[in-house]
Amino acid sequence: MAENSSDLVVESYKLTKIYQNRQIALNDVTLRLEPGCVLGLLGHNGAGKTTLLRLCLGLHRPTAGWVKIFGQTMGPNAAGLRRRIGYIPTNPQFPRGMTPITYLDYIARLFGLPAEVRKPRLASLIRAVNLLSVSGDPIDGFSNGMTARLAVACSLINEPDLLIWDEPTHGLDPEGRRSMLDLIKTLARQKTLIVSSHNLSDIDEVCNHAAVLSRGHLIYFGSLQDLKGRMRKNQYELDLDGDQKAITRTLNIVKGMNDFKSVSLRQRRLELRLNDDVNIASALANVFMTIADNKVTLISVRSMGQATEQAFLDLVEKEESRGFARAYQVNDAA
Amino acid sequence: MDAPTTIPAVKINRFLPYWAVLQSDMRQTLRSWIYRLWVLMTLAAAVGYLLFRFGARQVAGMVQSAPEMLGDLLTWVIWGSVTLIIVLTAGTISGERGIIADSVLSRGISRYQYFLGKWHARLFVILSTFFVMATVSLGGAYVLLHSEHLTILGSLVAVALVASLLVLVVTAGVSISALSTSTMVSITLVWLLLYGTGFLMSLLPAHYPSPDRALHNLPNVLKGLFDLEMVSRLISGALSVSLLVALAGMIGFARRDV
Repeated sequence: MAENSSDLVVESYKLTKIYQNRQIALNDVTLRLEPGCVLGLLGHNGAGKTTLLRLCLGLHRPTAGWVKIFGQTMGPNAAGLRRRIGYIPTNPQFPRGMTPITYLDYIARLFGLPAEVRKPRLASLIRAVNLLSVSGDPIDGFSNGMTARLAVACSLINEPDLLIWDEPTHGLDPEGRRSMLDLIKTLARQKTLIVSSHNLSDIDEVCNHAAVLSRGHLIYFGSLQDLKGRMRKNQYELDLDGDQKAITRTLNIVKGMNDFKSVSLRQRRLELRLNDDVNIASALANVFMTIADNKVTLISVRSMGQATEQAFLDLVEKEESRGFARAYQVNDAA
Repeated sequence: MDAPTTIPAVKINRFLPYWAVLQSDMRQTLRSWIYRLWVLMTLAAAVGYLLFRFGARQVAGMVQSAPEMLGDLLTWVIWGSVTLIIVLTAGTISGERGIIADSVLSRGISRYQYFLGKWHARLFVILSTFFVMATVSLGGAYVLLHSEHLTILGSLVAVALVASLLVLVVTAGVSISALSTSTMVSITLVWLLLYGTGFLMSLLPAHYPSPDRALHNLPNVLKGLFDLEMVSRLISGALSVSLLVALAGMIGFARRDV
């Protein structure tokens, strides 16, 4: 853990954003991001993810609280801090009539990079994101994938220490998405990243920390492992094969066990819901023994839902179910 | 044994972001259809009027002195151009607010540099264009028309006077654009502000300088008949108000969400 707050990459304290006294976009967000973290920012539409990112970039001013980047308070004129950040907005758009070369050169000049630094760098990046063949074409006609690759190049032109990518896989085909996730994993070895995404499997794959926002409030901030640890662990699906009578016999035996809240069979899929206080390993061992005794083939076993997705949904559901009690426990985010 | 190589730290040029915005905005302004419309309309009006007066003099012997004609021309150019210049400048920042501004303002540039780059780019393009058009009109008048009353000093002062008013129009457009959320709102506000202020100033007693009176007096200025103190007050007043308006716009923009 970083003891000194100046060692932190991002630190926010009671960060609140209210738009024109009409909409509370972000409410009392306190978090600390250490170097090397890959933070997945999760939340429904309108949860405040983009607002949080824009506050981190100084594009918005906080209504209350503050956000520090590399130990210094971020604001609209903190150009020096932004020189250490690479940002990809949601749906990146570009000025008309520019080519990848002219646009990257423009962005590099916005970072104050002299010609002898920016020219070789932009050439390398254009090559790296595979836009060499269209480097002189107008950006207007680019596909979503090409636009996303250009946005990646823009965010890396200043060799930033912190990357803030708002839904980087949005609108990409499976191949583009795979390339983007691989790039994030590569960058994560050297840089600190904040990745906002609706796609929870993406977050699951590339992030080591998670922050969950619900209606502007930070309901979880910590490691992704801890978040997964909060998921429901008592639902399993078993795909079976073999004689139908044997499967039915197995079902009846399992139904007779006390470890399960509910047991059901759909086609050849056995769905088990365990009691809360039961020993999962021993309960499942009994089921496996029964399956084997009845000469039924076990094809696959899986816990219900995707780990991060389930944990996220559980968290949001739990937060919503607290009702007015939320007013008295506002500091239990982590 | 080789000495260990050290990679020199990148030396950041702090003025480069300002230059980047300035150059980009100048290119963007020169390519915009409003700018081209303004230039075409103004040139067509100026050339047409000059040729009409030249023809009237050659064919019918009707002589209008060059200062009168140029005074009329500059006045019409100002009144006709103001609306187009307002449209051209009032969307400078508000028109880019949101997605495109994000991709610029999220980089290593301060709001002050962004505002100054945009303001100076619009000023440079509009004033340069005006100076070119004024030079063409003055040259045409010297060559084609009865120009013995036209003085060089008067011409320079008249051009400076009109240019100072244009500075005010451009500055008001860019500043209100920086404080407003939509281009339509900006255009309306700038239009109301400039025409309203101009109208109110025309109601002041005659010894107060006002844009309306200054434009009416242009033929005399072109002849070299002007009150230097009055002209200086008007030019310095327009430039001072422009600076104050720009300062307010810049500070306001630095405190706004984008």
